Amino acid sequence: MTTKKKPRHPLAGEMMSGADMIIQVFADEGVETIFGYNGGQVLPTYDALFRYNENKKTQQQLHLVVPANEQGAGFMASGYARATGKVGVFLCTSGPGATNCVTPIRDAMADSIPIVLVTGQVPRHCIGTDAFQEAPVFNIMSATTKHVFLVSDETKIEATVRTAFAIARSGRPGPVVVDVPKDVQNFVGPYQGEGLLELKGYDIRQKIALESRISEHEAKTFFQMLAKSHRPLLYAGGGIINANAAKELRAFSAHFNIPVVTTLMGIGSVDTTHELSLRMLGMHGTAYANYAVEDCDFLIAVGARFDDRVAGKVATFAPNAKIAHIDIDAAEIGKVRQPDWAFVGDARAALQDLMDAGATFKRDFSKWVKLVNKYKKEHPLDYEHNSQLLQPQEVLEELNKITRGDAIVCTGVGQHQMWAAQYFDFHQPRSLITSGSMGTMGFGLPASIGAQIGRPDKTVIDVDGDGSLRMNIGEMDTAVAYGVPIKLLLLNNRGDGMVLQWQRLYFGKRFSGTEKDHRQKDFVKAAQADGFQFARCIDDRRQLPKALKEFVDFEGPAFLEVRIDRDASVYPMVGPGMGYQEMITGPYIKSRVDIQPEVHDIDPEDTI
Amino acid sequence: MKRTISVLVENHFGVLARVSGLFSARGYNIDSLCVGETEIPSISRMTVVVRGDDSVIQQIMKQLNKLVDTIKVEDLTEVDFIERELVLIKVSVNGDRRREVIEIASIFRAKVVDVSPSSMVVEVTGSEGKVEACINMLRPLGIQELVRTGEIAIARSAK
Repeated sequence: MTTKKKPRHPLAGEMMSGADMIIQVFADEGVETIFGYNGGQVLPTYDALFRYNENKKTQQQLHLVVPANEQGAGFMASGYARATGKVGVFLCTSGPGATNCVTPIRDAMADSIPIVLVTGQVPRHCIGTDAFQEAPVFNIMSATTKHVFLVSDETKIEATVRTAFAIARSGRPGPVVVDVPKDVQNFVGPYQGEGLLELKGYDIRQKIALESRISEHEAKTFFQMLAKSHRPLLYAGGGIINANAAKELRAFSAHFNIPVVTTLMGIGSVDTTHELSLRMLGMHGTAYANYAVEDCDFLIAVGARFDDRVAGKVATFAPNAKIAHIDIDAAEIGKVRQPDWAFVGDARAALQDLMDAGATFKRDFSKWVKLVNKYKKEHPLDYEHNSQLLQPQEVLEELNKITRGDAIVCTGVGQHQMWAAQYFDFHQPRSLITSGSMGTMGFGLPASIGAQIGRPDKTVIDVDGDGSLRMNIGEMDTAVAYGVPIKLLLLNNRGDGMVLQWQRLYFGKRFSGTEKDHRQKDFVKAAQADGFQFARCIDDRRQLPKALKEFVDFEGPAFLEVRIDRDASVYPMVGPGMGYQEMITGPYIKSRVDIQPEVHDIDPEDTI
Repeated sequence: MKRTISVLVENHFGVLARVSGLFSARGYNIDSLCVGETEIPSISRMTVVVRGDDSVIQQIMKQLNKLVDTIKVEDLTEVDFIERELVLIKVSVNGDRRREVIEIASIFRAKVVDVSPSSMVVEVTGSEGKVEACINMLRPLGIQELVRTGEIAIARSAK
């Protein structure tokens, strides 16, 4: 985070309040939209925002989006960051405002998403007195952010907010929280227009990571391993998206003719319709991706972390493979699986270095590529075709015929999330926006609002479930209020489908707490009440193509509920804690083994 | 295996909370954690004694290294180092036990720093082994109270 000599900031030396400085740093950092909710201890900063926007043309203003709940603001900021690659910003009050932000902060930490949260705090002399709307934000956030500041020295407010942006976007990105006591917001001092806090160790580590390149020797070892391989496989994670390395990954894969599997977070890093794409691996990955993982003899992990949804049983994961692991975070190397070759650094630089070093490397992997394409043909995703009831998969397939891989798809968490990951085409990075690691229900709707605001040029679709949608349903009102033309597709199965699926498989069909039949909610009426001009519900196959077309083509925010078969399950499924050998492909996907493993009651202790 | 990890951190608000929070959040057990200012007032040193196999220690060091406030992490167990701990032990002394306490203290080059009709306070400094040995010798006499600082450590200079 070294600062180059820049021309003096036009406001340098001007006296302003801490609150003004916060807003001015936002503007300097290129923030266009602030998501947030005003309240007692953050009033000065909201006032500064109002004054900043006064007498400015709309294009120069900092756009403010007020959610129904601060959690919504956090997910909007996160959706914005995920869709654009820029830092998402939200601004909330102390106490309950701040604690409502804990979930999106943890969610962003778990998915490595750069967001900055500024919270108001009670004045310094009141901290620790159990004051009205006081919460120990530093302590609470400490365990779950990349970094948290409590601004106790008022003269450092400007540098602290600027540093928060630098930390959020550098290295492995993540959320940063700045807790600002009200009296610090009211402090008046000269604006500097530049300057960061000194972070002795962090700055050096970032510099090393940024400058780290694959040495000749390291490249040689890598290509010795590749030269011995017959069945190499790229395993791409969210790190590719964060590093903006999709172009390099695609070039690498094409250059050496190596197929690619991606994690949920890595979807879009390669075009899912490409010959070398095997789509998603893992618990609900495609059968052919998981077969490729089982069969490969050299697995090249880039920006992925062998998490439990990918490697449920580490000991038998990619059992025949040597492992190469590239990651910006040294702590991920060897955390789960010890690699045979590793590089800590930027994924884009690493892939470029390897391509340069291997420019003359030649090895024929066409037999392997043919084999995985045979797997693709013989074990495709499939589902029930003989039911009267609408199947969720056919709804998404039909929608995909309209969007053709060019929409940004946001999701809640559960079955619909997995179906969306499985059945849509994704041509570009940042086109699937989903809560991968934390698995936060309620993510989809606010994230889609943030994504649409960040990418007004795109069709943004929130594929949601009835359980997930309920969690942040207040934000439907927000979408309409700000004229955000999201397309909200509700796949309603009147229950928490994924948990129901686990209860069917592992808990003797005892549907504890997961059925929603006793709930009376009329989602269409709710959408209408919130001002949706397009709000429909269908449950008939014949209506589907037309309804979806009109839904996507509608100019403003649109809501479409589709009543689906509540017994639909997500397949394939690698049970929790199990290996890929134990993958269940279900009744509609052909397995390559004759005998499917028995689903047995497994110890709930083991089910994560 | 016991490991002594030395961590240089920024000496400011909340750093101890961040470090101890990391240990609890990731389920690592700490034997002891000592923190104090270094020769540079803006930098603190934490000496953390932990137990775990190599992969656990590796993870702990890497995770510590990720904290924004961390300046440097060093596993002292890998180098030649000096470890010291200070312990205050309040021992019961009825009758002629007083002499016994003084004798044990002198063997361990410990000091008697407080005396009352019913107790004596012994101050002992040394490595974990020495301190443990001294405590074990005093235990049969009746330890009323015991306070340990936890271990601090410094690497030896190359000779």
